[in-house]
Amino acid sequence: MDPNSELGTTRRRHLRLERGQLDSERVRAGLLLMLPAALVVGVLVAIPIFQAIYYSMTNWNGITSQWVGPSTYMTLFRNPTFWRVLENNGLLLISVPVAILIPLGIAAMINQRVWGWKIFRSLIFLPTAISWVVIGMVAVRIFADPGAVNSLLRAVGLGFLHRDFLAQPATAILAVALTFVWSMIGTNTIIFLTGMSTIDPAIFEAAAIDGAARWSTFIRITIPLLKRYFQFSFVLTVITAFTALFSLIFIMTGGGPDYGTTTLEFFIYQQAFSVGDFGTGAMIGVVLFVLLFGISIVQLRLLRGEH
Amino acid sequence: MITGDFQEKVDGAEACPGSVTDGGRFTSKLESSEQRAWLGRFVREVRGDPIRIVVFVFLLLTTFVMLYPFYFMIRNSFMSSSQYFAGQGFSTQSWTQLFSALPVWREMLNSTLICAASIAVIVLCSTMAGFTFAKLAFRGRGFAFVAVIGCMMIPVQSIIIPEYVNLAHFGLINNYLSAILVYGALGTPFATFLMTAYFRGLPEEVIEAGLCDGLTYGRIYWRIALPMARPALVTVVVLQFIQIWDDLLVGLLFLQEPTNRTITVGLAALSSGRVVSIPILMAGAIMSALPAIAVYLVFQRYLIAGLTLGVSK
Repeated sequence: MDPNSELGTTRRRHLRLERGQLDSERVRAGLLLMLPAALVVGVLVAIPIFQAIYYSMTNWNGITSQWVGPSTYMTLFRNPTFWRVLENNGLLLISVPVAILIPLGIAAMINQRVWGWKIFRSLIFLPTAISWVVIGMVAVRIFADPGAVNSLLRAVGLGFLHRDFLAQPATAILAVALTFVWSMIGTNTIIFLTGMSTIDPAIFEAAAIDGAARWSTFIRITIPLLKRYFQFSFVLTVITAFTALFSLIFIMTGGGPDYGTTTLEFFIYQQAFSVGDFGTGAMIGVVLFVLLFGISIVQLRLLRGEH
Repeated sequence: MITGDFQEKVDGAEACPGSVTDGGRFTSKLESSEQRAWLGRFVREVRGDPIRIVVFVFLLLTTFVMLYPFYFMIRNSFMSSSQYFAGQGFSTQSWTQLFSALPVWREMLNSTLICAASIAVIVLCSTMAGFTFAKLAFRGRGFAFVAVIGCMMIPVQSIIIPEYVNLAHFGLINNYLSAILVYGALGTPFATFLMTAYFRGLPEEVIEAGLCDGLTYGRIYWRIALPMARPALVTVVVLQFIQIWDDLLVGLLFLQEPTNRTITVGLAALSSGRVVSIPILMAGAIMSALPAIAVYLVFQRYLIAGLTLGVSK
């Protein structure tokens, strides 16, 4: 017998003797080590969401509040501005598939490993590092008149379409959506590239031997194998569209013109800090939370259904 | 390397033009000089499959679209206001004006301090909690884990109003501490998720060895687990740095004075002022973006690792 195993038995016996003492020490250590995270997250994230739920049913100006009850939600749902804002969220939702499919195409191209593919990968991912504020500041000039988009339109003979795209609600939300799609390209491309790198090359070789064309290999093999990555990218893109565009909208349009680019998250800020109606702000916050929670649950169900 | 052999064979037979084959990637390895191999690969690429050339051109165009804003910022920052409207010229005037229009260094310092402190909070909380959730079983641990991780699903905007009122109640508005605490709390759930996943991969024997050496669990965390978690720590730090440095909302609400606000907030304030010239704004944008870009360039690998962890777990 080698000495190691003997040592192992003594160690185990030694441990067994101290098991009871160790158990209580483990509980104590565990509680202690968990405490800072639980405290910070509990006080600064969990409690405020319950406060938001409570205050959403009150008249609240930030200092004093009067209880109203769940009827506040009915008032909100009867407010046409709320539906106008929700419509903008819907419009952003429509751009989500675009923000997923374009990166899928780019990832497929990078995955061909043409000359310089690593450099392309780095450069395409680079905008991920810059803030929405900076992106928004550049986007304003690009969609303004004169600006890059208008120059492009003129160059392809569509000069009659030229305008300040941020001056009208319909084109302004389009400009915000396009900027959003652009800034999701880096992240989603990386997600799909990671997914593609997990696929066993032998599968493609087998397909090649069977004489499968490049396109049908992509549709029939690559895409089905990327299912999890599609789901992840979808959830991430929706969450970004609904909760990360505050700064972009703040810089690009300030929510205007005329609520044309106000989404739920921006509406919260407006209601609370411009209008001073903290109760309605908190209520829209709860609506946003429920909406995202619903999407996450559906996502989890889909994942679980697979296994 | 079986794949390599195989692909070479496919290349030779031209059974499937270019689908998953790799141009001259494997044959070029035979070349003695590395630089010649690099160029050789390009030549082979150009001579080879036309579809690969189309792919190359598309990637070039995409890269142009992705980098255009950077070009736009740099080009326009080196113009004076009048040159910007004329659409040509070169001047460093806007760069000198930037530093009088915006306390850039002060705001960069604020950003740095707030980032560093918030990240310290996040790292401390998440590694301790992650170690517990992965290695220290006790009753109620599962519930605590779900409760902390579940907070990931709460968007900032949903809690920002009560948060603002609470911190105002304690007189913490315009105090670094408010922003540090809020960023710390917002970053901790995801960081804990990441650290728990990492510590789960730590062999149980490591903990037992520590116990046999008479270490307490606290010391095992500090002396053994934490040093071993370095790669995951770097990922957490890099992800959080970029997120906090680039954030506007929290800074906008909690740090409103020009002396304590972050560079991102300062830039947003400058931008909404609508008086400052565009070249100055662009110079400011470059200044604010540089640190995050530098971190990105150095730690790209860790950023990608953190991003895609969400899929594998």
